[in-house]
Amino acid sequence: MSEVTPEADARRLAEGARDRVRFEEEALELSDQVYRVARRLVGSREEAEDLMQETYARAFRSWRSFTPGTNLRAWLLRILTNLNIDRGRRTQRTPDTQTLEEGDYYLYNKLEQSGETASDEERVVERLSQDDIVAALSAVPHDFRDAIVLVDIGDFSYQDAAQILDVPVGTIMSRLHRGRRILKAELAESAVGGT
Amino acid sequence: MALWTDPCAKCEELLQPYLDRDLSEVEMAEAEKHLEACNYCQRRYRFEESLRGYVRLAAAEPMSAELKQKLVALRTPL
Repeated sequence: MSEVTPEADARRLAEGARDRVRFEEEALELSDQVYRVARRLVGSREEAEDLMQETYARAFRSWRSFTPGTNLRAWLLRILTNLNIDRGRRTQRTPDTQTLEEGDYYLYNKLEQSGETASDEERVVERLSQDDIVAALSAVPHDFRDAIVLVDIGDFSYQDAAQILDVPVGTIMSRLHRGRRILKAELAESAVGGT
Repeated sequence: MALWTDPCAKCEELLQPYLDRDLSEVEMAEAEKHLEACNYCQRRYRFEESLRGYVRLAAAEPMSAELKQKLVALRTPL
């Protein structure tokens, strides 16, 4: 038999408040990592900042729907990616099939061909500027980029990325595969010129 | 019957799942055996690994202190 006394009620409220405070603190501790992903899911810093604020506002409102002990970072990113999709994405050009048919050695081969002599791997990478990388990433269509950003930049497992984007694991794997090829074709274009 | 007549083409196909650690033990051993002997593939594998690290580094942009303050301000008042 449960007894609802003013004391029990006050205790329940205090516990709820304590859980909420703990949730908010943990969510804020993860904000740098969440931002790292958010920044590359969208095109500009302003968009990323708006998205972060909307995400945290929603997370703080609906904190009770988070199951303690599960992956909070993935939970926050799930909110963020849903909000991002709700905001409406611009239509992006469909990647041409030729770039998708290029093999995985394509970028290295292009960079090597463009150099006077074969250089070591690190030096070949250094020929790509930070701007090249950021521009190439932005040019990858959303669905493919989301997978790359979550797995390669956000360090999420295939399984977590699949849950965040609400797609099967196999879809994440194929989007990663195609997305990385598109990314490399874009890098080849900006670093060497022409594909 | 071997599906791949060119071992380098097969190795190229294994590159992404290899770096993602998403290969069976047999495929992993197959890739490593070929890599030990093939400088051409080895250099391309190392390049791809460096590229991933570089993409991660290049994509990093720290969050502004101002945004952090805004997020803190969204907390439920005590």
